Amino acid sequence: MNPILSVSNLTFSYDGDSPALKGISFDVEEGSYVAIIGHNGSGKSTLAKLLLGLMNGFKGTIRVFGTELSRKTLYQIRSRVGIVFQNPDNQFVGSTVADDIAFGLENRKVPHDQMQGIIEKFADDAGMRAFLDHAPENLSGGQKQRVAIAGVLAMHPDIVILDEATAMLDPKGKREIRDLIAKMKQENPKLTILSITHDIEEAANSDKVVVLDSGNLILQGTPDEVFSHVDALNAARLGIPFVIALKHELASRGIEVPSSIKTLEQMEDYLCQ
Amino acid sequence: MKNFALGRYIPYNSFIHKLDPRVKILGIVLLMVCVFLNFTHPVVNDAGETVKATYWTMTAIMQGSVFVLSILLLWISHMSFRSVLASLRSLWFTLIFLLVIYILVPTQTVMQLGLAWRVEAWNWSVYWDSFADAGKIMLRLMNMLMLTMVLTGTTKPLDLTYALEWYMAPLKVLHFPAAEVAMTISIALRFIPTLLEDSMRIMKAQSSRGVDFAHGNILKRITGVTSLIIPLFVSSFLRSEELANAMECRGYDPRAKRTRYRLLKFGWRDIFGFIIPAALLGLYIWWSVDSSVFTQFVLSGVVLP
Repeated sequence: MNPILSVSNLTFSYDGDSPALKGISFDVEEGSYVAIIGHNGSGKSTLAKLLLGLMNGFKGTIRVFGTELSRKTLYQIRSRVGIVFQNPDNQFVGSTVADDIAFGLENRKVPHDQMQGIIEKFADDAGMRAFLDHAPENLSGGQKQRVAIAGVLAMHPDIVILDEATAMLDPKGKREIRDLIAKMKQENPKLTILSITHDIEEAANSDKVVVLDSGNLILQGTPDEVFSHVDALNAARLGIPFVIALKHELASRGIEVPSSIKTLEQMEDYLCQ
Repeated sequence: MKNFALGRYIPYNSFIHKLDPRVKILGIVLLMVCVFLNFTHPVVNDAGETVKATYWTMTAIMQGSVFVLSILLLWISHMSFRSVLASLRSLWFTLIFLLVIYILVPTQTVMQLGLAWRVEAWNWSVYWDSFADAGKIMLRLMNMLMLTMVLTGTTKPLDLTYALEWYMAPLKVLHFPAAEVAMTISIALRFIPTLLEDSMRIMKAQSSRGVDFAHGNILKRITGVTSLIIPLFVSSFLRSEELANAMECRGYDPRAKRTRYRLLKFGWRDIFGFIIPAALLGLYIWWSVDSSVFTQFVLSGVVLP
């Protein structure tokens, strides 16, 4: 399979000497769910900004569908990549939910008579249909993030980057966003999701994990592969998902748990057999 | 801050709410011109010359009618009179201030309303005209405030922005970025509640660190406010940077042409929204130019048959 997104030898520095990213290379397959994890200051948010061309002056190449990111291809690439940022307030552009979803459509020059239908459909998908007339100050953080996701999806991106989209939410909001992402993945299996997170449990359920530590890519691979490097992860000040830690413990006592078991519920069922 | 009625949109479905914002702006501007018209008539002064002086009866009736009309408009647009009164309450200070000014420095050339009192010792007279002048200004202010309230209370800030953008459209010939200005205003409006929330949070945080915003001498209070303003500035800059990123990622290009989700539509109602204020203004201008018509029509025809 051809990678939908391919980053090679990406180096970037804010001030000229201490680089925030040091020669990062990884590929993302179409339709996969990739988790990029790392501690604060590991360069994960810098990576997200670079992928969307929000900062200039990086070395190395970023290719989306084989097109190299440059000043010329910027708008072309941005039309295929959507991003949801961390702070729900700072990405709410419209004065109501409907206006905010419409913002991207207006930029895309979607004709006026098609807009209402698109807005209603995506608000419906995000469970925000009843709130179309609501102003952002009357919405919870989770609801605002759902609107942000609806706004991104309405533009039919191929890749959605979630830049710590749940970090500022309460547990209920986090759960809502996780469910919504699972649902949109189900509806459109070709959608590629790049989730920048420090939620280890989320990474455990992804297709591929990329681990960053102070600007270096230290590990990448399936969750099972990555989380077997306990020492490296500890050095990067990252933990290990509970299920995988349990698998390691069981393996060290001679019980091999099949790799198909990923969630806590599956583990429970397996152990109770 | 919550009971501040001036400038707050009150969602209802009244006739005025449904008017096109462009028509509403124009209508209110026309009515405002009515408020600012002067009504004069020729009066013979002490020296026997004929000069123009304020026609008090006419001013009272004409401004009074605008006042009644404003109340009517407020009533049609379901504004609560209590909040209107609350906004007008602060005008008490203005009234006192105006009275003092007008009593000390009378502006009328001919005193038509007679002497209120006289302080012989200082050779100083106070005329009723000073009170009438202050009253006239007060009535104007009140009319203006109420008309503004009708506009802002019945129109969403965003619709107002779109209407302003429409009025600024001819300036595009001069490369004036009307769409960008409208976008800036709409984002500023969108962030008012967010920044208010921010300032409340910072205020609480600073209070918990011992900053006193309400007491102490003026110097202490200024320091207190500084401790509010600086973090607020920092947070707004961070917000604006993130917002700019988010907008850019969603394909916003200020120079590119965009389509519109909200369109302004001119309907049958809007004809009234334009014709009534325009006709009223025409009448006011006509009568203010030639006050004898008013005297003939209203005073002799109706009041003094």
